[in-house]
Amino acid sequence: MQTSTVRVVRAMAASVFFVSASSAWAQDLVIGGLFPQSGNNAEYGQIFSSGANLAVEHINADKKLKGTLSIVYEDSQALPMQGVIGVNKLINVNKTPFVLTGFTGVSKAIAPIAARTKTVVVNGGGVGPDLADLGEYFWNTIPLINLEVRTLAPYMVKERNLKRFALVYVDDALGQAVRKELGEALKSSGGELIDSFSVPVTAQQFAGIAARVRDTKPDAVYIASYGGQQAQIAKQLRDNGVTQPLASYSAFTIASVLALPEADGAFYTSQQVNWDKGDAITKRVLADYKEKYNKAPSPYVLNYYNAVYAFGELAAQLQKEGKPVTGENLLAQRRKSPNFEFVGATVKFADDGTVSAPIQVNQIEKGAGKMVYAAPAAAAPAAAPAAAPAAK
Amino acid sequence: MLYAQLFVNGLQTGALYALIAAGFSLIFGMTRVFHAAHGATFTLAGFMFYEIHTVLQWGWLAATLGALVVAAIFGVLVDRWIYNVIRRHEGSFFTLFVASFGLAIVVQNVVAIVFGRGLVTVSTPLSRSVEWLPGLYVAPITGIVLVCALLCFLALQWLLTRTDVGIALRALGENADLIQVYGLTPRRLSQYAFLIGSVLVVPAAILTASTSGLNSAMGHHIMLISIAATIVGGVGSLRGAAVAGMLLGMAENLSLAWIDPQWSEAVTFVVLFLFILFRPGGVYGKAVVS
Repeated sequence: MQTSTVRVVRAMAASVFFVSASSAWAQDLVIGGLFPQSGNNAEYGQIFSSGANLAVEHINADKKLKGTLSIVYEDSQALPMQGVIGVNKLINVNKTPFVLTGFTGVSKAIAPIAARTKTVVVNGGGVGPDLADLGEYFWNTIPLINLEVRTLAPYMVKERNLKRFALVYVDDALGQAVRKELGEALKSSGGELIDSFSVPVTAQQFAGIAARVRDTKPDAVYIASYGGQQAQIAKQLRDNGVTQPLASYSAFTIASVLALPEADGAFYTSQQVNWDKGDAITKRVLADYKEKYNKAPSPYVLNYYNAVYAFGELAAQLQKEGKPVTGENLLAQRRKSPNFEFVGATVKFADDGTVSAPIQVNQIEKGAGKMVYAAPAAAAPAAAPAAAPAAK
Repeated sequence: MLYAQLFVNGLQTGALYALIAAGFSLIFGMTRVFHAAHGATFTLAGFMFYEIHTVLQWGWLAATLGALVVAAIFGVLVDRWIYNVIRRHEGSFFTLFVASFGLAIVVQNVVAIVFGRGLVTVSTPLSRSVEWLPGLYVAPITGIVLVCALLCFLALQWLLTRTDVGIALRALGENADLIQVYGLTPRRLSQYAFLIGSVLVVPAAILTASTSGLNSAMGHHIMLISIAATIVGGVGSLRGAAVAGMLLGMAENLSLAWIDPQWSEAVTFVVLFLFILFRPGGVYGKAVVS
């Protein structure tokens, strides 16, 4: 009798332990990261994940959530098809309610899946203007290319007196969007897009294109590509006699472009980041990132840090209210409290899931971007950073 | 002048393609191994050159030697430790291909981990064009590429026609079983083929590092060029690989005068399809009836 009582007590104790343990495990949260980890654009994957990982570390260290937050990564190779495979795995196998992504083509390919499965997808790297129209479950923590082009064009035309542009663009959703935006922005600024040359995503030889660019005799050349290819374009244009100023967008903020001697003097736009914001989170990210990677974080790092940070805030609010952390609830919570104290900016998500930020024009000088013009914040009403230091 | 410029660019690209294709064509022609990891040899050699020349700053000669050694060791070890093992177990052509393809992916990832995932370039004033005639820009490296390609093909021609090893290699390509009657070892000859084929890719890797830069994922592109040039030139024909490389490079560049740059790479494959349809044996290949 005594033996059976002991057994019952042990069984009850064990069941209590397992129930409590499983409820604790149930609080652990997993989010997805769909970044290029191989291929020509893998460099971006490293940058994006460094920001996301730092945010996860901070959230776990602060015990912001009940349980532990972790990220599962899938390799998109920056290709739409691989992106679809990756996001399906993250949603159906890993059951992630929140997925980070980048690249316009990948984002457009996975957005319908996110909408169908009610999974929040956040982009902090792709800048195609139509990323604002991908549905309520698709959010952006990066200002889109139309803002960048509309800042650069008047600056180049009016301040630098560079009116005739040639465009070398990658033939995908991003490149086509830049072609349209640049043509319109130059026209309205008194400039002109005199010719444009599309290149396949896989192209690596641009000497022939340089010859055709030279033939058009432009005042400046705009490069709309990304990853290793944009560095190859810049190098081969310079090597093949194109001496005119080069210009591009925020994709130029990677080491392989900034360190390229041929890219010296090139102009590029990026979002403004207020390092003097003075709040704890900005100081912490700046200090911890510098300590970990021995360099200042780029805007991409901040975008993905902010994306995970936003998830942490929303998930914590949901857990406090006793609601499960699902894509649907995250969306509802974001609509309820759309304001966030992000690193380097106070932002408000618009109804279409985008955030705005004022843009700055940088010029590459000795391997680093130096700000040469900061667009006034009035051009981008939703965000209010104050100053714009040099991009690194 | 645009045509002249595109012609010069085509010469440079074509010579590089010829150098890239020669090694693959030699290995495939002599051993019948579809060495999909040839692109990996290119990537390894290029990055080794970059590391020694630009990072360690030990100079061109040391960097070239380093790239040659790495390419040679990689080629020989792949044949010895992977292809030979598969052959011993009577693995099929397809098994060898899959193993080679897998190896290429492994190398791509190892290179990305060791050297980083971004683009690296070897800066040299030799890649900077100067205006020869109004509107015609030529870089000194164009001449170096052409001379290099010419020397490599002449050396290879001499090796294959005037030396015992070369003649044995050609015999290996003709009939691997029959050469054993003469006391030759196909396994050892296969290693020579891999050694020479892998070393042949080094000049192209070095010159590419200086002209368009390197990244860990470029092996696939190199393989596409190698396959196209080998088929167009005729399987096993080095002269064919040289002519095909030049033809593809010229077609890719000269087509820019008439079509959008977006389609210039597709021109390579249009040429390939035309050859497959109308001259499947390639420029110098032999028609085979099975």
